[in-house]
Amino acid sequence: MSLILPQRSLSRRQLLQWSGLSGAGLLLGGCQSRFLPDKITQGSRFLTDKVGQISEPLNQKIEALMLSQQPVPEFAASEIEPDKLLINTFDTTPQIDPAQFRLTVNGEVNKPIQLSLTELQNLPLTSMVIRHVCVEGWAAIIQWGGVRLRDLIQLAQPKPGVRYVFFQSADGYYESWDIASCLHPQTLMAYQKNGQPLAIDNGAPLRLAAPIKLGYKQSKWVTGITLLSALPAQTGYWEDQGYEWFAGL
Amino acid sequence: MDASVPTRRKTKSPQQAFLAKTFHWVNIVALVLMISSGLQIYNANPVFGGRGGWHFPDLVLLGGWLAGGRDWHFAIMWVYSLNLFWYGIYVFVTRRWQHRFASSSDLKAVKASQNIKRKNYAWHRLVYTAIVPILLLAIASGLAMYKPAQLHWLSGLFGNWQTLRTVHFITVPIVVGFTFVHSVMALRAGTIRLVKSMFF
Repeated sequence: MSLILPQRSLSRRQLLQWSGLSGAGLLLGGCQSRFLPDKITQGSRFLTDKVGQISEPLNQKIEALMLSQQPVPEFAASEIEPDKLLINTFDTTPQIDPAQFRLTVNGEVNKPIQLSLTELQNLPLTSMVIRHVCVEGWAAIIQWGGVRLRDLIQLAQPKPGVRYVFFQSADGYYESWDIASCLHPQTLMAYQKNGQPLAIDNGAPLRLAAPIKLGYKQSKWVTGITLLSALPAQTGYWEDQGYEWFAGL
Repeated sequence: MDASVPTRRKTKSPQQAFLAKTFHWVNIVALVLMISSGLQIYNANPVFGGRGGWHFPDLVLLGGWLAGGRDWHFAIMWVYSLNLFWYGIYVFVTRRWQHRFASSSDLKAVKASQNIKRKNYAWHRLVYTAIVPILLLAIASGLAMYKPAQLHWLSGLFGNWQTLRTVHFITVPIVVGFTFVHSVMALRAGTIRLVKSMFF
């Protein structure tokens, strides 16, 4: 397991301490009954969710405004930190036969496409040395090599109303991105890491890689790319648990 | 006036400007929320030791889990930084910085004054003036981590990622330590009446 999961079970004592003494206690003490620990958990979760619901639309708007189509300055190859990239997976590691692998690009496009790994590797290769930042707080400088996502989107000839892109992964993970971030010149469908073919743990045969989004946005084992004019109800595995959707860097 | 009644000079209670008190209150509440939600984020991957490192106990955390901690942190950051921002403008416009913050005369008093009251007062002013750059550093290092790609020039100032995380984290023990020292110094410089005047 990987990204920190919500804490659902706290002891009564912990809860009382927590609600009484912590910073939350300042706010919760007044509006929650101390004799109903369950209500306190629900109440604090409710309050935290409210805080997120109020602040996130504003924060995401500012993140979208800050997003520039200029490439983010890259690092030198000597600055690569091979040991710092931790492996985070929400469930299992899928085994994919590279010969059988097909990437589909469909949705609101004029020309849905299916590409084999060889066909992907015959498209122009972009290499970048960028910082990969995890929501947990750690970061690693990594070289990624792959196809620009915007090249794939262009191949499929998107219809005018496309605003979002949905990514389906072989392990059941799913993500959605804003179109501007997908068209960024450093948003890659990568099949190479630190000069080597991508390892299965890092998402082989194909994964998202970009310096402009947090790590959980960068799906591994991507098999389907769907262009959309509206966000689906389920916007992403971690987002549906409560993480921020835009997650821009 | 009846000469038999001993005349006592009525001591005037210290008064603080309403806006200074407002800033002080909002800053305290915002810092408590920023620190407790920040430690929640810290616990997801401790700055010192990574996943195997020491974690802060639940009772000082806010948000319940990483995403909740982030919700609080990135909501209250606006309250915290806008509060500092308007107060900065206020201090500048009213020229409070000339007479309410440490100056060279306080430095002189600390070094040479024989008057213990003057000396205590000078130390008090020096300490609360010195916290201002720390409060600003918390914002700068926080922004550098929040948007390291779009604000790469800012992140670059901090060297590598570990240094950046450490600098941002270190503002927490500094602020907590400051709270104690600042309280003691305010008591020494002006007794409980000075402390009360800053709150009510």
